[in-house]
Amino acid sequence: MNSFTQVLTTLGWIVVALAISPMVWLIFQPYVKTWSRAERRAAGLLRDVLTPEQCQQLLWRGYLEVKSPSEPERIYRVPRTRGYVQVLEHGRAVMRLCVQPVENLPDADIVVLHKLMIEANEENYLSKANKYFIVD
Amino acid sequence: MLRVMSRRGDDRVTWDDSKVIAGDPEAMAAVREAERIFAQERAKGATAFKIEPGKPAQRIEQFDRTAEQIVLVPRVVGG
Repeated sequence: MNSFTQVLTTLGWIVVALAISPMVWLIFQPYVKTWSRAERRAAGLLRDVLTPEQCQQLLWRGYLEVKSPSEPERIYRVPRTRGYVQVLEHGRAVMRLCVQPVENLPDADIVVLHKLMIEANEENYLSKANKYFIVD
Repeated sequence: MLRVMSRRGDDRVTWDDSKVIAGDPEAMAAVREAERIFAQERAKGATAFKIEPGKPAQRIEQFDRTAEQIVLVPRVVGG
């Protein structure tokens, strides 16, 4: 009877561990991803493309601000992780953009992609993006 | 250097331009390989950017052997 209880207890713990493992994975996934080889390589490219100030902004604020080459009052806010790019004009958010590569890329590469496209291919970038206008 | 963005991070092909000018076979083979990848990725819809330190990124249509860094970005679509 005693050993039967022990087996039941062990099985119970296994069930609990299996139940919480997805949550644990969700919590630690960003850290695991940072350690991956692909992310490390992408982070290297990001460091090569950004200035130290831009790296700092991305790290501390969670986004990178890219000035529009065509509209002096327009700024694009590129998030560090996947998500919408926010467009600000005269300091106010006017729209959100959704643009993504056809190929799955590490997060750091996606930041570089947005920066390069905005700075050197803005017209094409805007034409491809799905736009969600923000109305006050 | 040619850097091609991919799920693996970025794939790189490097060469020394001074060795290419000197006719070094290994450096010339690296340039040929970079040119081939450049053309292949462009055909798939990738966009190429030339990156030089202290200068804004520049979109390029043709392979530039003398560029310090060329980054190939895959085709993008609206999400």
